[in-house]
Amino acid sequence: MLALIPVRDATLPAGALEAAAECGDRSLLIGERVGEALGHLVGEVHCCEAGRFRPGAWAEVLAHALADEPVVVLPASPDGRDLGPRLAAALDRPFFAGAVQVSTTTVVVPRDGGRSMHTMAAPASFVATLQVGVRGVEPSDAVPTVTPAAFSVTDADVEPGGAGAGCPDARVVAVLAPDAATVDLAEAGRIVGGGAGLHDAAQFDQLAALGARLGASVGATRVITDRGWIGHERQIGTTGVVVDPDLYLAFGISGAVQHTSGLGHPDHVVSVNTDAHCPMMQLADLAVVADANEVLTELLALLETGDG
Amino acid sequence: MTAVPSTAPAVVAVCLKWTPSPFDGGPLGPDEGDDRFAGVSPADRAALELALQLSDAIGASVTAIAAGPSAADRVLRDAVAAGATRAVRLDMAAGSDSRDVAFELAQVVADACVVLCGDYSLDRGSGAVPAFVAHHRRCAQALGLVSVDVTASASSVAGAPDGELTIHAVRRLDGGRREVLAVPTPCVLSVEGSVASLRRAPLRRALAARSAPVEVIATPPAHHHGAPAIVTPYRPRARTMPAPAGEDVLGRLRALTDAGTSGGRGETVELAPREAAARIVDTLRGWGYLD
Amino acid sequence: MDDRSLTTTDCDVVVVGAGPAGTCAAIVLARAGLDVVLLERGPFPGSKNMYGGVVYPRILDELIPSWWEEAPVQRWVTRRSTMVLTPDQALTVDFRSQRWGAPPYNGATAYRPDFDHWLAAHAEAAGAQLVCSTTVTGLLRDAGGRVVGVRTDRPDGDLRTRLVIACDGVNSFLAKEAGLYPPVDAANYTLGVKETLALPKDVIDERFGVRGREGVDIEILGGTGGVNGGGFVYTNLDTVAVGAVLKLPKLAAQRRRPEEIIAGLKSHPAIAPLVEGAEVKEYSAHLIPEAGLSMMPRLAGDGMLVAGDAAAMCLAAGIWLEGVNFAMASGMYAGRAAVEALRAGDLSTAGLAGYERRLSSTFVLRDHRKLRRAPSLVLSDRVQHVYPELITSVVERMFRVDNPAPKPGLRRIVRDETKRLGVRTRDLVRDGIDGLRSFG
Ligand SMILES: Cc1cc2nc3c(=O)[nH]c(=O)nc-3n(C[C@H](O)[C@H](O)[C@H](O)COP(=O)(O)OP(=O)(O)OC[C@H]3O[C@@H](n4cnc5c(N)ncnc54)[C@H](O)[C@@H]3O)c2cc1C
Ligand SMILES: Cc1cc2nc3c(=O)[nH]c(=O)nc-3n(C[C@H](O)[C@H](O)[C@H](O)COP(=O)(O)OP(=O)(O)OC[C@H]3O[C@@H](n4cnc5c(N)ncnc54)[C@H](O)[C@@H]3O)c2cc1C
Ligand SMILES: Nc1ncnc2c1ncn2[C@@H]1O[C@H](COP(=O)(O)O)[C@@H](O)[C@H]1O
Repeated sequence: MLALIPVRDATLPAGALEAAAECGDRSLLIGERVGEALGHLVGEVHCCEAGRFRPGAWAEVLAHALADEPVVVLPASPDGRDLGPRLAAALDRPFFAGAVQVSTTTVVVPRDGGRSMHTMAAPASFVATLQVGVRGVEPSDAVPTVTPAAFSVTDADVEPGGAGAGCPDARVVAVLAPDAATVDLAEAGRIVGGGAGLHDAAQFDQLAALGARLGASVGATRVITDRGWIGHERQIGTTGVVVDPDLYLAFGISGAVQHTSGLGHPDHVVSVNTDAHCPMMQLADLAVVADANEVLTELLALLETGDG
Repeated sequence: MTAVPSTAPAVVAVCLKWTPSPFDGGPLGPDEGDDRFAGVSPADRAALELALQLSDAIGASVTAIAAGPSAADRVLRDAVAAGATRAVRLDMAAGSDSRDVAFELAQVVADACVVLCGDYSLDRGSGAVPAFVAHHRRCAQALGLVSVDVTASASSVAGAPDGELTIHAVRRLDGGRREVLAVPTPCVLSVEGSVASLRRAPLRRALAARSAPVEVIATPPAHHHGAPAIVTPYRPRARTMPAPAGEDVLGRLRALTDAGTSGGRGETVELAPREAAARIVDTLRGWGYLD
Repeated sequence: MDDRSLTTTDCDVVVVGAGPAGTCAAIVLARAGLDVVLLERGPFPGSKNMYGGVVYPRILDELIPSWWEEAPVQRWVTRRSTMVLTPDQALTVDFRSQRWGAPPYNGATAYRPDFDHWLAAHAEAAGAQLVCSTTVTGLLRDAGGRVVGVRTDRPDGDLRTRLVIACDGVNSFLAKEAGLYPPVDAANYTLGVKETLALPKDVIDERFGVRGREGVDIEILGGTGGVNGGGFVYTNLDTVAVGAVLKLPKLAAQRRRPEEIIAGLKSHPAIAPLVEGAEVKEYSAHLIPEAGLSMMPRLAGDGMLVAGDAAAMCLAAGIWLEGVNFAMASGMYAGRAAVEALRAGDLSTAGLAGYERRLSSTFVLRDHRKLRRAPSLVLSDRVQHVYPELITSVVERMFRVDNPAPKPGLRRIVRDETKRLGVRTRDLVRDGIDGLRSFG
């Protein structure tokens, strides 16, 4: 098993260490300034300097290079999800997307929108992407053995006659820096969450303002997404997004298990609720019994005056 | 409006996956094969809307394609009602292997300058079909787009020296970053559901579309078969956690259970709103979230 | 007459609302070879429709022979109970007929999304053009005020037609816009609320004493926590519907939330064992036109007919809660009257008079005439708050063994209890006569 890790600008993608660990610490880094991207990788690491991300051309080149590598696992990061199926197609192998577990004998993938798991016997050779965050890794200070890959991808490969020829790719015009408002909730370090205790959409919008001030993303309970105050992709919980922030601020949230089970293990939780005994208040490090709507207004006023 | 300078009229294709039922069963859930709740994903609807916008902007026609059983005709007729010019159904069983689906789709979209797809289908959610189609066509792909700039895409035709259509789009990266892409055509794009909301079909079109023709193309028997699977309810996998730090057993236990490590845990205060706000700000500062 | 509207119509008839009323109208019209468009705001017929749970589909014999072989039925009602509840007592009159468990059947529990969807498939098969996800937002009228079409919320959404049949359900805004309704009082509406509770089929069979596809229909007087109204419990295959029909002004005056009343009903000692351990699957609420005949609008205008709940045809009179059958019948008769009028080429109010004539000669209006006093009687404070206590305490004393005191006579008990509860004989007699007139 080999972990194939697309690298951008000397940075490992989300889930890189997990993919490598799933493959018994055998990985191939491909991309831009891969030598500087080792991070906490351990074991056997092969490096292929290949410039910017080009899924079409890379897939063609890798299909030749990895023909003898029966199992290839990519992290299901955006680039992994882009490259994985393209590589599987070029290799003409089965592809398992978003697997939660991969081995040479079985592959486990979630189906039906995450409601069930399918466990399948692994084919002789295949490509899979591994969901980010499903397995975790043991941190290690061991030093990897780094070797250059036996092949390379150069601009010549995409010229006529090259290995990746005839596979045009999109051109990156710019990379936009993260913005707390648009960060995937799953990756957000700080989250402000709103629930049914907020009286109207305008109050909920105040939450976004507070989020902006604290550098936090906005999440909500199902009651709120059902009301349409914010998109479903911002719903935290079993049928929404599973998050794992450092800081969670809950405004008017009762803490139903369907909600809290998606909350991960925040280091710090603040809850504002009129009911001192609801589960969210029990969970909180700081439980404030007060009207969440008014507290929000006051918080904004307080932070606005630069007092924060 | 800019015309695409090519001999044949330009075609934008949109792949719509008819999904039997996105809902879970249960007493009030639909039965197997109940087509009332069937339909296409929000992402596919967004793809259709973008196909319509793009075709308006560049003067192309829109072909809507679904690979599926005859029940999928309804989805195609809805697409015609919304403005698609041609409806094609590849006659395949629901749940066919993505590789077979993509191979057949690729034949039908062979003449399209842009192929639009949803990022994930509702039932399988592999998101692989668009990449497979791009592979068969040997063209560029951009998957999981969060926006497509129709105007900039349309004006690219005029701007480029060779009159090539380039699609301008934004794609989600990890860490909350985004990349702005210029995608050469022909290309396959897959979009998230929030990218656009599908227009409502005009009433007369909705009426007329009820009898709109759907071209049905027979497909050869399946090549690939999904491996048989053991199905179990979703259970998260056990995660490897870093070993707890601590001098002795008690310390490690504390670290693991959080007991007594976080100063304010469990503190409940009843305060007037202004005092509450001040208290929260103080606490956040104490924890190091505010500077 | 504006002849442009005649020459440029898009279809013969637009039916608004694919509930039981609209769909039956469309079936009749399409089968007569007319060009019918059936507009429904939900994504499919029945998607937004809620009700208690029992359909009495006898009237379907005329439209879909042997409907019972194909209709999506949950259970056939073979047991009907009427319960009178006080907080800690219950008196049940229980009737069972195995005859109702065989063709041609009497009543069935069914889910409306299934039933309405199934019925609408018949309209489509007959040639009606069903367009869903389309809300009618207004009427098109000519200079003379005659209805000549509808406006919908779709782009390019006007549809011109020769006749509009409004089957848009309770509180019909189309009938109101056409000026067919007198000003309506909120007191004429009750609020229907319902919870659907999941239980395994064998548990339901055992608790309700039924087998196979047999089902139970329980109507309840009292148990609504001081709010005037009534309750019901119906069995589906693997769910139980528990609900209440509540008088609106009382509900508002008592500041009670309808969920609390259902919760109260579910915890009543006579109901709790039936629904214990069930998981709530769905909660829904809907208005019911309750006042029957006294609130019916004019049923026809120039170019327009009104049927079903839109015309307040629902019969909600205590032990009866029937609306679907009235809706199907009135829709069917509206369809027939429309065919007649279209053939004669007269779509004025007068030309459409065949509709009311048909309703008057069948159960639709006859039942309403007969039961016109029933709703106010059943919802009166005496029937709601005093009689349940009276009846149950009389029965309690009948069955109580007070040895060594000898058993009192029934007359004595009734006298004692009416006195204790302050019931005046005059009222009792008058209510008795009203009751006999209605239900007798
Ligand atoms: C199958 C299933 C899946 C579900 N999945 C999810 C999911 O993924 N995510 C999710 O969030 N939910 C989910 N739910 C719903 C979940 O069960 C709860 O209903 C929901 O989380 C409750 O949201 P809430 O806390 O906003 O509302 P409520 O439970 O109604 O709580 C509102 C809270 O606000 C407080 N409050 C009221 N007024 C004020 C005020 N003025 N100031 C301060 N506090 C106030 C109240 O005391 C209460 O604690 C699911 C449910 C089911 C059945
Ligand atoms: C709690 C409760 C319990 C009940 N229990 C029973 C029972 O057990 N048995 C029984 O027989 N009856 C019962 N009823 C009554 C029954 O539900 C109604 O009488 C019956 O549904 C009336 O049918 P209809 O076709 O007239 O209207 P509806 O069923 O209300 O159908 C109206 C249709 O029109 C559509 N519509 C509305 N406005 C528009 C618009 N502007 N544009 C397009 N479409 C529109 C709606 O979406 C709907 O599909 C109950 C009612 C309630 C509320
Ligand atoms: N059977 C199909 N017919 C048409 N389009 C499809 C089909 N399967 C997948 N697609 C397209 O590919 C996208 C991603 O699907 P998937 O790869 O199945 O997650 C969908 O949103 C559709 O646009």
